[in-house]
Amino acid sequence: MQTSNEAVLTFDNVAKSFGGVHAVAGLSFSAVAGETLAILGPSGCGKTTTLRLIAGFEEPDIGTIAIGRESMIGKRPYERNVGLLFQHYALFPHMSVRENVAYGLKYRKWPKAEISSRVDEMLRLVQLEDFGGRRPQQLSGGQQQRVALARVLATKPKLVLLDEPLSALDAKLREELGAELKRILTEVGSTTIVVTHDQDEAMSLADRIIVMNRGGIDQQGSPSEIYSRPATRFVATFIGRSNWIGGTLKLNHSGGFANVVMESGTVLTTGNPGLGDEVAVKVGIRPERIAIVGTQEDDRMSGANQFPAMVVNAISMGAENHYHVICSAGTLMVVEPGGRGMSFSRGDRVKIGFRAEDCVLFPSRDAA
Amino acid sequence: MTGRRADDLIRFTCKAMNCLIILFLLTPIAVTTLMAFDARDYLGPLPPPALSLRWFSAFFSDSYFLNGLITSVKLACLSVTISLFAGVATAYAVDRARFRGKEALVSFFLSPLVVPPVVTGFALLLFLSKIGVIDGFARLLCGHIIITVPYTIRATLASISGIDKSYTEAALILGANERHAFWDITLPLARTGIVSGAIFAFAVSMDDVAVSIMLTDAKTYTLPIALISSMRANFNLSIAAASVMLMAMTILLIVLLEKLVGLNRAIGQGTFR
Ligand SMILES: Nc1ncnc2c1ncn2[C@@H]1O[C@H](COP(=O)(O)OP(=O)(O)OP(=O)(O)O)[C@@H](O)[C@H]1O
Ligand SMILES: [Mg+2]
Repeated sequence: MQTSNEAVLTFDNVAKSFGGVHAVAGLSFSAVAGETLAILGPSGCGKTTTLRLIAGFEEPDIGTIAIGRESMIGKRPYERNVGLLFQHYALFPHMSVRENVAYGLKYRKWPKAEISSRVDEMLRLVQLEDFGGRRPQQLSGGQQQRVALARVLATKPKLVLLDEPLSALDAKLREELGAELKRILTEVGSTTIVVTHDQDEAMSLADRIIVMNRGGIDQQGSPSEIYSRPATRFVATFIGRSNWIGGTLKLNHSGGFANVVMESGTVLTTGNPGLGDEVAVKVGIRPERIAIVGTQEDDRMSGANQFPAMVVNAISMGAENHYHVICSAGTLMVVEPGGRGMSFSRGDRVKIGFRAEDCVLFPSRDAA
Repeated sequence: MTGRRADDLIRFTCKAMNCLIILFLLTPIAVTTLMAFDARDYLGPLPPPALSLRWFSAFFSDSYFLNGLITSVKLACLSVTISLFAGVATAYAVDRARFRGKEALVSFFLSPLVVPPVVTGFALLLFLSKIGVIDGFARLLCGHIIITVPYTIRATLASISGIDKSYTEAALILGANERHAFWDITLPLARTGIVSGAIFAFAVSMDDVAVSIMLTDAKTYTLPIALISSMRANFNLSIAAASVMLMAMTILLIVLLEKLVGLNRAIGQGTFR
């Protein structure tokens, strides 16, 4: 496995538009050797365009793209040594599994015997040794994906690109193949870029995530950083679930804390976000960061913000229990681990609480 | 229950209509076939008292017919080959190119033929005489390329544009250049369309009268032209024998097409309107 911090892929201020639509606007990032980088964003934010720019199916209008130290501007796709796993796999229907996997090696002028042993090795890696003679149409979706992956990895590309690798599979298979994909990528030690709109896919595969929004980057960081310290309101809403509470910021210069006063007069204690005094803000709080207890168990409650509340909705989702509670801060969603039945039911009087550090603040004028 | 009776009546009428139409279509063909095997050397009342192959051997011993047959086959093979290349090249270029008016061009290529063949033939005759092409075979070849090329373009364009672009892109990113991708991916995946286009084009060329009749000269003529003119000169039943053979060829082509693509699919694609 490569561990050096050398950049394998560098985007420098890359822009691409299609007839006035800015698909990618001033994108700069890099991927280092051996890492799996996810580019995550909503539909239409420019993920596929980014991937196609790397692969050479599109040329940037401005900016430069480099693989290693070599500029890719003007290079044809077959001159780039990049592997791309297509969303619908694009396995050649008129070739057998073996022929598909061998295809790239043929044009790298490998000797026949070496091609054959490399194909064997790849099919073993994806655990499809006995399927070499089949046509792609004779395989299940999951098997097709593994063949496509074997075809991509066979040529030892400098960079592996995955376009929504799990989205074509059903939920059960997705989890299984996600783990399998991660194992294979780690085993091969390839530098990988995954493009997806599905946060679970990004979280489960990637070492690092870039959140894309409208052709640009909102945040990059580790999955847990992005989840617990979203840099923009867009990131906070796009990743995971949040309760949003509106109010006015009152800075208080003792310690790192601040207060947010809601229209109803209720005061929240939050971290200090570095915004000005009296700014209208939205406070975000994750449902699983809110504790919920019965009214008589006051002593178990922790955190600066505590409110008496009433349960208006209680839903068991199996692994999680979802509650909607009403309190002086509004209607909030609370999630607690399930599995041992529901602690509360509709109409129960409860107490909720959350810590100031778990609150994220953004100016109200920021788009969600 | 009167509604039900009316339904039955309508269904019966439709069936009867169906039978009538089939009878109407098939009777002339059946009569021709029967006459082709007639052993008498004059046109007598049906059915013939005895059967023989004499009209077939008469056909093959008549150098006028044979000449026509040879010209027709040469013409069909050559014109189909040329329009196949032209068709594949055009379809590939049109499919890849991005330009304004592409949609219009594609629907122009895919739309039914609008110029009547007689007009094509006459226009070509004038044009070729003007530029001094007087060789009969060359003229016929030009005409047959013009009438067959729409079939090869359409069939190829329909099948090439139906191929998912990601197959070609997959080949490119795996290291194949554009030429390799064309031979490895595009051509094999478009094969059935290309072959069915060629078969249709062949049948069209073998069958054509309207264009050929304008471009024929005394020495070079196609089989259909030979049949028509000999019918005027001295009618005999070798013409029926020739018709039977042309029919057999058509049936053979249809069976071939059915084997390769499924006729319904080929027609259903709207390729051969
Ligand atoms: N070939 C093209 N021609 C015109 N517009 C395009 C083209 N490709 C992309 N776009 C536009 O560029 C923008 C970004 O597209 P892109 O396909 O990169 O989004 P995406 O993030 O992959 O979305 P999705 O998750 O839906 O696949 C969109 O507004 C899209 O309409
Ligand atoms: Mg996309």
